[in-house]
Amino acid sequence: MTYLALVQNGIAQGLIIGLAALSMTLVFAIARFPNAAAGDMLTFGGYAGLFAFNATGSLLATGLFAIIATALLSLAMYYAVFRRLAGRSSVSLLVASIGIGFMIRAVLGVSFGHGQLVFEIELTRPYIIGGIRVSPLDLKLALSALATLAAAFGILYMSSIGRQMRAVADNSDLARVSGIRSERVMAALWLLVGALTAVAGVMLGMATIVAPEVGWEILLPAFAAAIFGGIGSPIGAVAAGLILGVTQELSTPFVGFTYKIAVSFVVLCTVLVMRPRGLFGKAEAVR
Amino acid sequence: MRGNRRDVLRSLGAGVAFMAMPAVVRAQGADVIRVGALNPITGSGSPYGSGMQKMILAAAEAVNAAGGAGERKIEIIAEDSQTSPQAAVLAAKKLIEINKVSAILGTWSSGVSLAVAPFAENADVLLMHTSGAPALSTMKVNGKGLFFRFHANNERSGAAFAELCKRRKFTRPATMAFNNASGIGNVDGFRKAWEAGGGKVVESVIYEPNQPSYRSELQKILAANPDVIVTGSYLADTMIILREWFQTGQPVAWAIPGWAVTPELIRAIGPTAAEGIMSVDAISNEDDPAFKTFDAIYQKAMGTSGRSNVYAAECWDMVNCLALAIEAAGGPVNADMLKAKIREVANPPGQQVASFAEGKAALKKGKINYEGASSALDFDATGDVTPTFGAWSVESGKLVMKYKFQA
Amino acid sequence: MDAYLAAIVSVTLIHVLLALGLTLQYGFTGLINFGMVGFFAIGAYTSALLALHGVPVVLSVTAAAVVAGVSAWPIGLASLRLRDDYFAIVTLGFAEIVRLALTSEKWLTNGVQGLSRIPPIYEGTGTAAAFIIVAILLAVTAAAIFLIHRVAYSPFGRIIAAIRDNEEAVQAIGKDPARFKIQVLIVGSALAGVAGALSAHYVTYIVPEQFMALTTFYVWVAVIMGGVGRVSGAVVGTAILMFFLEGSRFLGDFLPWISSVHMASIRIGVVGLALVLFTIYRPQGLMGDFTKR
Repeated sequence: MTYLALVQNGIAQGLIIGLAALSMTLVFAIARFPNAAAGDMLTFGGYAGLFAFNATGSLLATGLFAIIATALLSLAMYYAVFRRLAGRSSVSLLVASIGIGFMIRAVLGVSFGHGQLVFEIELTRPYIIGGIRVSPLDLKLALSALATLAAAFGILYMSSIGRQMRAVADNSDLARVSGIRSERVMAALWLLVGALTAVAGVMLGMATIVAPEVGWEILLPAFAAAIFGGIGSPIGAVAAGLILGVTQELSTPFVGFTYKIAVSFVVLCTVLVMRPRGLFGKAEAVR
Repeated sequence: MRGNRRDVLRSLGAGVAFMAMPAVVRAQGADVIRVGALNPITGSGSPYGSGMQKMILAAAEAVNAAGGAGERKIEIIAEDSQTSPQAAVLAAKKLIEINKVSAILGTWSSGVSLAVAPFAENADVLLMHTSGAPALSTMKVNGKGLFFRFHANNERSGAAFAELCKRRKFTRPATMAFNNASGIGNVDGFRKAWEAGGGKVVESVIYEPNQPSYRSELQKILAANPDVIVTGSYLADTMIILREWFQTGQPVAWAIPGWAVTPELIRAIGPTAAEGIMSVDAISNEDDPAFKTFDAIYQKAMGTSGRSNVYAAECWDMVNCLALAIEAAGGPVNADMLKAKIREVANPPGQQVASFAEGKAALKKGKINYEGASSALDFDATGDVTPTFGAWSVESGKLVMKYKFQA
Repeated sequence: MDAYLAAIVSVTLIHVLLALGLTLQYGFTGLINFGMVGFFAIGAYTSALLALHGVPVVLSVTAAAVVAGVSAWPIGLASLRLRDDYFAIVTLGFAEIVRLALTSEKWLTNGVQGLSRIPPIYEGTGTAAAFIIVAILLAVTAAAIFLIHRVAYSPFGRIIAAIRDNEEAVQAIGKDPARFKIQVLIVGSALAGVAGALSAHYVTYIVPEQFMALTTFYVWVAVIMGGVGRVSGAVVGTAILMFFLEGSRFLGDFLPWISSVHMASIRIGVVGLALVLFTIYRPQGLMGDFTKR
């Protein structure tokens, strides 16, 4: 019974990590660097959503506003910084993304202060389905996450721009030669990444709190999930996020609440040693 | 390129020279008492730090408006401790050596207070803090007696919680503690007092800071079927834990430190979920005149009730105690004199006063006893306050005091 | 006044040691180590624990260097099998695990209560003592600079530069890069361990929560601003960073309308902006750099 509950917790966490990891793996595969600003973009999404929620009280407006705001932020990041660094080493881009993350955090800190805020949603008692307690908020958030993932996958696999993004991920030179305009692809990439992190940020904010550091805390598990799932595999990122989330929670009776945070890394390191391309990644150079 | 580098080195040199200049910002003179404020504006104490700093500044303003202490104005130099011992040490050194403060007020985390203590002691600078660690009252750390703890120490807090649970006839308490010295100190104090009374704690969990969710931790506690959960927690994590608890549907009572059960918390979890939650705090009853003065100013400065930041009330009291001590000394002061005078103005017997202005006037007639916004401020031999505690219960969305007791 | 300046110089020197370690690993060899704070912590706790049990500070700091260096060995093995950005993330994870272990293993580290009353670098108070401490730290830093300099201009140094720029070529001439990478990681981490130990004896109180990833990033900022791949870059970059971080404290005195809360956010924002601008416009840092990246 408790194990089931732990699994539930893990899934709830895992969905958020999975969304963040999905945005991470897309950037890894298409722009070819680890995006350390993802955490702070997530935080930004949470704040944007909270702003809309406090103004309108509508969940739909919250989600839309957060998505649009973060997507625009993301696009601005691309045009202002990442585009200028195109062709440079992934370390340069990583370092620049760290800098951008700091700047986002600074702006949020100055605008909203350092205290933590909450979505004042009414709390509800759980449904009891076949002896298992399920929280309505969990369900709502999970459905939103699934809807977002469906939309994201729809874009990636069924739209023309999605096809182009995947082509660039596979082989950017070939993609350029066959006429795909990399700038359009990049713009689409960053818009999508912004949208995904926005949803993760709002989910996190609704499930817990909105505070300047929350996204940063998710960053490492999200990195771990992206690599574990195999860079460039959207399904892998989400699956890995769920697996890591669940594993982390299931491990608590054995390792305690402090070390459970370390579980994602241990899993990651083991995976990198034994199966470097991750769950679904292509056999590309890990070394 | 070459010239560029030379320019850089040259401006670096100028920069160092600039830093070597004394930081002359306000009129200096013998008619000013410089006091340092070292608060957690950033870092884990940040929910409380800005309020603490603002109240120190406001209290100093009020003292100066009433004519100053001992004919002198109080000047506050404020620094951010960043809730980090390393950063705090640098800030403390700056306050002590450059700004030449006579006292440092408002260090919050035990780590920061412990790190700053030796430097303050060596320089004969008073340290008034709100940290919980018992070590801060020991002879080893507080050998000169220059440190004053304005916050109930862990043992006293814990005993207060035990008393509350006893009165409410709970028999199966469990504890949840934030993984830092203060959180753990609180629940350890509770455990000691509870076991001394012959009881048993059925389960205890320590949880890591800054996690997005505490469901598994909650589950472990709830699995032991406690009738009350005593926490050593802060506002952010308490919010998360209570929200997640309510959504499990399992009934249990909660006894939470007063600094975490604020109107913000009640709003965040909703009055239904908050109904019946108990909190324990050193008394500042809404009817205390000192508290009312403090609360009015706090609301204006911060936009929320003063009840949400007991540390800020403690900081307010720090300035008033210090100012009244200087006023009582009436003349040039040194650390030894100050530490004696502080007890003189804050401890009974004496005319009870609730503000600096009142105290200043009353001092002309005889001994006073400043009763503060955060507690009665009666310091024991080791420099700790011996507060009366109050226990509140949330009823229909409002905090209602239920008991008062001495711990 | 002098004692305060001495304090800033002391803290700067300690961070220079960290930056030197990173320069050796990243600047000279191209290894992206995001786990510096982990070795810093290991060094701090090793030295503090030994000193609290009566070991003289000189010996405990040396032991800290050894322990930190040895603990870099598994990281070294990881570096052989992983490409750059994966390695970066693994080192980041390593530092986090170190912090969690320090928090958890109370029997050893006293957990979140921290270790207090750590024997200082030099017993004594007042300005004279502060200057003696600066002198000691200067000596250690000078020794480290000398060491790194010798390494850089030795045959060893040429090979690690070659590894950074073209690893396959190194393999082609029959040298095994693995050995060199592991050695570099060990030495660089030992330096970080010394920095940690000295820091513990300087502040005299350590607690796990102060060893956060932000320290690692600050060291990276210092190295990037100063100039990757140059010893002078490590020194200049650290000096600039510390000047800015400490100097912004004084801004508050001159500009009282900026609240401290904002100041903290502004500080981190400016650091971020500096990172971005340097990466775009002056990737070689202030002192220039001769790496091909």
